[in-house]
Amino acid sequence: MRALAAEAWKLASLPTVWIATAVGVLVPSVIAGITASATLGAITRGAGTVPGVDTGYQELAFGVVGAIILGVVGISSEYFTESEESGGGRQITTSLTVVPSRLRFLLTKISAIAIAAALLAIIAAATTMGVVRVVLGAHALTLGADDVPRLVGVVCYWVYTALLAFGITVLTRHGVIPLAVLIANTSVVTVTYLLTKITPLANYLPDMAGVRMFIRKLADNTVEISPLTGGLVMTAWVAVLLVIAAIAFTRRDA
Amino acid sequence: MNVITIDDLVKRRGSKEILAGISFQARPGRVTGFLGPNGAGKSSTLRILLGLDRATSGTALIDSVPFVQLRDPLATVGAMLDGSGAHRARTGRAHLRWVARSAGLHRARVDEVLEIVGLTNAASKRVGSYSLGMGRRLGLATALLGDPEILILDEPVNGLDPDGIRWIRTFLRERAASGRTVLLSSHLMGELAETVDDVVVINEGRVVADGTLDEVVGAHRTLEDAFFALTTSGAP
Repeated sequence: MRALAAEAWKLASLPTVWIATAVGVLVPSVIAGITASATLGAITRGAGTVPGVDTGYQELAFGVVGAIILGVVGISSEYFTESEESGGGRQITTSLTVVPSRLRFLLTKISAIAIAAALLAIIAAATTMGVVRVVLGAHALTLGADDVPRLVGVVCYWVYTALLAFGITVLTRHGVIPLAVLIANTSVVTVTYLLTKITPLANYLPDMAGVRMFIRKLADNTVEISPLTGGLVMTAWVAVLLVIAAIAFTRRDA
Repeated sequence: MNVITIDDLVKRRGSKEILAGISFQARPGRVTGFLGPNGAGKSSTLRILLGLDRATSGTALIDSVPFVQLRDPLATVGAMLDGSGAHRARTGRAHLRWVARSAGLHRARVDEVLEIVGLTNAASKRVGSYSLGMGRRLGLATALLGDPEILILDEPVNGLDPDGIRWIRTFLRERAASGRTVLLSSHLMGELAETVDDVVVINEGRVVADGTLDEVVGAHRTLEDAFFALTTSGAP
């Protein structure tokens, strides 16, 4: 528990973690606000559209960028090397002299990041759904019992995505590449999504499977994967990656 | 007890042999200087001792236990390696706080060590704004948090101003005088002669001299002369 408290404090005292939090909350809620006001405009013009079943959830799928930043910097900060003039030190040496067991260190880190990502997801989901309701007013779909498993799915998706980003960064020991690749894949160039056009198997890639936990209608996609299956597929990816990361981390020189 | 025992340590990276069988001891009540030119294998030895790197063969033990198996590492061994060992975006105090927290130490201890190393006034500044000397002081503060019986310091005088060097010498002498173990590495000979009791000289991954200061200096005029005679192959 002491080690977990220390890891939580480490995250909280890192400015990039607060950037991740801002991104995670603002990105989905701002996009949701814009989309909702467009929908409202169409409704009042009498264009007849009603808000889609994925209103708010679509935006939360993008907002996972915040969780990606969290997962990456949570471990890349350990490897960040001071300038030559400052002695070229890295925090990982301090961390491992305080918690010498590599496995224990990694498990503590994973727990701290999972908890932080879950909190972030809860705040982001509440804010995003709140914005949708405020903008659409009476036109908003009411959140019902169906939404509970979907919102749990959002939280799982964010936690898993943060852990995927974490696992990849444990292997690279450097934040820039995983950050660039993962953020691009979520926003600008959705490689995994484009792959589903080539092969249906790409639907079982971690992010494509994971979003099924809460997204009901994927654009131009006919492959049916249930929320539970999607969640289990993503769990498997995360588990495999973390095991590989743990093996590499415990074997190599720090 | 607090004895550091390095026994026949070998480290290879690829085909390169970094350590070729290093053995020595550092005892309580004494300051042991671990000397050698840059690249001789000092840092590698200390990193293996602290469980950060893995030895190809041989052992590095603290009271006959590897560092990674220590129950309360921070209260047993205080270590300072390169730089400050802190993330540049955190303040000095925030860095010490997470270390203290993970060892279950009281917050007040953070202010105590800041005071000891003379960083109280800079404690609220980000580590990224620290000079090399201030970073080293923060590293030392981290090592002292658990008030450990053993100190392992890699190039502690690097980057310190003359005042700082004088201060650390006195400080380490006092630690040893109170019966604790101090192991420090350096490539600077002049700075060390007045601080160390025992000397281990390494060159190209091998121990070339091991004994008390007097024994190692031997017939040479100074420790520096002895060092160059021992580490410069083919010197006249």
